[in-house]
Amino acid sequence: MINYKNIYALLFGLLIIGNVAAQKDDVSPERKQAIDSLALEKVRDLSKYISIIGSKKTPFSEAQRVMDRAEELFATDSEMGVSSLNRKEITYYKVRKYFDRLMALNYDRVTISWYDIHYISDLERQPDGRYVGVVTIYQKFEGVSDDGMKYKDTTKKDITIYVERKKTQIQGRTIEFWDVLLGDIRVTETRA
Amino acid sequence: MTKKMINLFRESPRVITMAIIVVMMAVGTGCKSKKKAMEAADAEARKAKMEQEAALKKQQQQQQEEELRKREAEERARREAEAKKSEPYSKLEQYFSAIGNASSVSAANSSISEALTLFTSPETPVLIVISESGGQKDYDRPTTIRDYLNYLKDQKKRADKIGNLQLDSSGKITEVELVKQK
Repeated sequence: MINYKNIYALLFGLLIIGNVAAQKDDVSPERKQAIDSLALEKVRDLSKYISIIGSKKTPFSEAQRVMDRAEELFATDSEMGVSSLNRKEITYYKVRKYFDRLMALNYDRVTISWYDIHYISDLERQPDGRYVGVVTIYQKFEGVSDDGMKYKDTTKKDITIYVERKKTQIQGRTIEFWDVLLGDIRVTETRA
Repeated sequence: MTKKMINLFRESPRVITMAIIVVMMAVGTGCKSKKKAMEAADAEARKAKMEQEAALKKQQQQQQEEELRKREAEERARREAEAKKSEPYSKLEQYFSAIGNASSVSAANSSISEALTLFTSPETPVLIVISESGGQKDYDRPTTIRDYLNYLKDQKKRADKIGNLQLDSSGKITEVELVKQK
């Protein structure tokens, strides 16, 4: 015989636990705004790192160090899309490989700048607890060789952003922090 | 003998007058001496009182001066302690600014090397508060002081505000808490 009393009690208990868990993960608008800003800042940081890596004025050792730092911004196995006005297809590289190729570009002067950095999809909480959003950027690239060869384009790129609550131990204390990680960077438009 | 005296007075009013004068002079002289003595005693008492008051005043003044000196010493000690405590803050702020505004990579690297001497280790943890509400702090991913200083060099940006520094007994920084500027 089914004991309905017990089933109701169990369902009620699960409901309470679910509510408590949901409330615990609630983030106030002020905190959410701080997380949004933090993620945008990481994208701007990447922009600066890419310009340093691409610049021919950057010493090799510095470029290597900056590549390490830039790589830390990404989730494992993230890829970067590369396009060209001279071909239709877009090639995707693992971020470290992309940085290596960027540093080795066959120009004497390389200038890369990102602008109009904004969310096209706000950070939204996923069932697994992570926040996911998409930021769009415009990248202006210009490569110039001493022999007069010049290439320039502007690409629009979408960057997936993951934000996750994590814990770490600092001097014996548990510190909870928001870990912002960049995912794949997809090229959505390339123009002269 | 008495009769002789009475007869002498009766017969000689001048003698009587003289005697009265002598007696009055004697009494007068006695009163004057007494008055003088009283005046002298009064003066003595006043003098003693004044001296006592002066001594008390001097003692109070000395006490006040001593208290003032003590307060000044305490204030000086407090200021020195504050200055000592705030010294790493101001030094670190100066290094943050020098690194973020360095004219070249080598200049920034030189400032980084100097700044690292303030810390127990280049791996000293740096916590960055991104928001705080209701006593709950939200942090960015923790980093180390070496990485943070290099970050300032690379990004050429204004450093986050120094929220708190933890120091060891030798005054070296063991942990940094920064607060992100809005």
